[in-house]
Amino acid sequence: MLKYTVRRLIESLIMVLIIVSVTFVLMRMLPTDMYFTEEQMMKLNDQQKEEQLEAAGLLDPIPTQLFRFYRQLLHLDFGESRRIQTGVPVLKVIESKFTVSMRLGLISMAISLVIGVLLGLVQAQYKNKIPDHIGTVYTVFVNSVPSLVSYSLVLVFCAHVLSLPSLYSTRNVGKSSIPPLICLSLASIAHYALWTRRYMVDESTKDYIRLARVKGMKSSDIMRKHVLKNAFVPLAQYIPASLLLTVGGSMLVERFFSVPGMGTLMIDAINRYDTNVVQACVFIYAGLGILGVFLGDILMMLLDPRIKLVGGGSGR
Amino acid sequence: MMKKQDELFRIVEYSADAAERIGYSNYSYWRSVWQNFLKKKSAVVMALVFIALVVFSFIALGIGKYQYSELMSDNALAFTNPNGEYWFGTDNLGRDYWCQVWYAAQTSIKLALIVAIGECIIGVIIGCLWGYVRSLDGFLTELYNLVNNVPMVIYMTLIALVVGQSFRIMATSMIAIGWLVMARNVRNLVIMYRDREYNLASRCLGTPVWRVLVKNIFPYLVSVIILRLALSIPATIALESTLSYLGLGLDINTPSLGLLLRNAREYFLKYPYLLIFPAVIVSLITVTFYLVGNAFSDAADPRNHV
Repeated sequence: MLKYTVRRLIESLIMVLIIVSVTFVLMRMLPTDMYFTEEQMMKLNDQQKEEQLEAAGLLDPIPTQLFRFYRQLLHLDFGESRRIQTGVPVLKVIESKFTVSMRLGLISMAISLVIGVLLGLVQAQYKNKIPDHIGTVYTVFVNSVPSLVSYSLVLVFCAHVLSLPSLYSTRNVGKSSIPPLICLSLASIAHYALWTRRYMVDESTKDYIRLARVKGMKSSDIMRKHVLKNAFVPLAQYIPASLLLTVGGSMLVERFFSVPGMGTLMIDAINRYDTNVVQACVFIYAGLGILGVFLGDILMMLLDPRIKLVGGGSGR
Repeated sequence: MMKKQDELFRIVEYSADAAERIGYSNYSYWRSVWQNFLKKKSAVVMALVFIALVVFSFIALGIGKYQYSELMSDNALAFTNPNGEYWFGTDNLGRDYWCQVWYAAQTSIKLALIVAIGECIIGVIIGCLWGYVRSLDGFLTELYNLVNNVPMVIYMTLIALVVGQSFRIMATSMIAIGWLVMARNVRNLVIMYRDREYNLASRCLGTPVWRVLVKNIFPYLVSVIILRLALSIPATIALESTLSYLGLGLDINTPSLGLLLRNAREYFLKYPYLLIFPAVIVSLITVTFYLVGNAFSDAADPRNHV
């Protein structure tokens, strides 16, 4: 168990490193004019530009820059932002955005887990009856309608029916974060409901359930005590991954409601070629994604003692 | 005693026709798929709606009163409600919305189809190899983990930043990332079926590998491939609209769902038709395709065939 955990952890770290390195090299291949604002481009002559780049170490050969980057990474130093907030350390820029995203992500996570599992439970209990069909319609809707369209519908509904503000604002956090929260939860509710239902239906045809039924156990007790517990194990695998990714912030939701979070920051950084910020964002996103999958596997192993990934991790 | 048996049994003349009927069943895979699919009336209706919409998106541009390339902005005409002249009204710059919406729908369909076909071809070929050639497994699995553990939006935004933004770049990069999921699905199935007894028997009898793949394994793949397509087309349309909305997708001159809604974002609370028309049309396309794909994938599963 410990050996497996350590091996997986090292593998995950290597994976993050690969992604970050590829991003780094790709960004260094962009034309250096990208580093300047239009105003600077007009004012500075070629020599001044070169001097500035030289000072920032951007003209060194790429391997040199890469190694410097690794050294900084060891101290968790991502350099300074060039364009978003000039001269401010990247970590400071990210910090405030990260808390906003984290708050929204955690709340939406809790909401979607509770509602999703409950919906799946109801669907499995009333299989092929009206509640099941309603749930299926919801899943099909979420899976097939483009998210931009469903977010727009949520926005219209919230603004006209519930008369909530249509943009996130820091002055009215409580009310204005309801629409983004609904949007963030839409897809994950469907995900949890779909899988809860499927695992429960699979589980409820097994022999030990039939035995429990023959013994005369109440069917609602069987569902809650036996079926749900077993069905929850494979589901638990996805919880850390989706938690960490929503913490990273859904770019579209944040942009759509102007939430000042990680997603908006990354889009801004890309649009304005703030390479240091982009790198830090990619590092965080990739790290969260990979860490999430890793934690998911560990969590599943802890929940169900029958599962042993040791030795079997890489398949056949 | 003898007499009784004579009454019960009758000697039949040899007939080649009747012998053939026992020895050979006229089962054809694709005919059964088709028959199974036609049995689901709702899916057939959905398929007709989907095809009608796709065809109409081409006609609609022809019968519209304005050409996309000749649209002029005219502030006096801004936010005209839908009427006889402007069938879907006009946008904030007074441009005809009908031709923009249909053009966007067409862009979405084109992109989704190209990406789906590309993903399908590369994914199936590499997936078969991945399942059959054991030594490729380690490398491809690592690659899959690397790509799949990070949200696709991140890769797409990086590509938009480094390579640029256009229809072709977007389609290529979506295929370049998307084939892995298809290949993974195909690989799992190939591994499941490659060592079944009947395949072992075929191999022992000297059947060439391609024939085993095409005749014995492929029928099991079809349903999964179609299911994947049914998911991939709505997903591509959603991803395109997301990226275009963020300003990282198609270029400004190619109208698409994302760009339309991005322009309309500030106004559609006041002028709901700016949201309703593109949303309804694109959603109809994705929902019908998703349902048809699911039904067809059920019909294509040989285990459901009698």
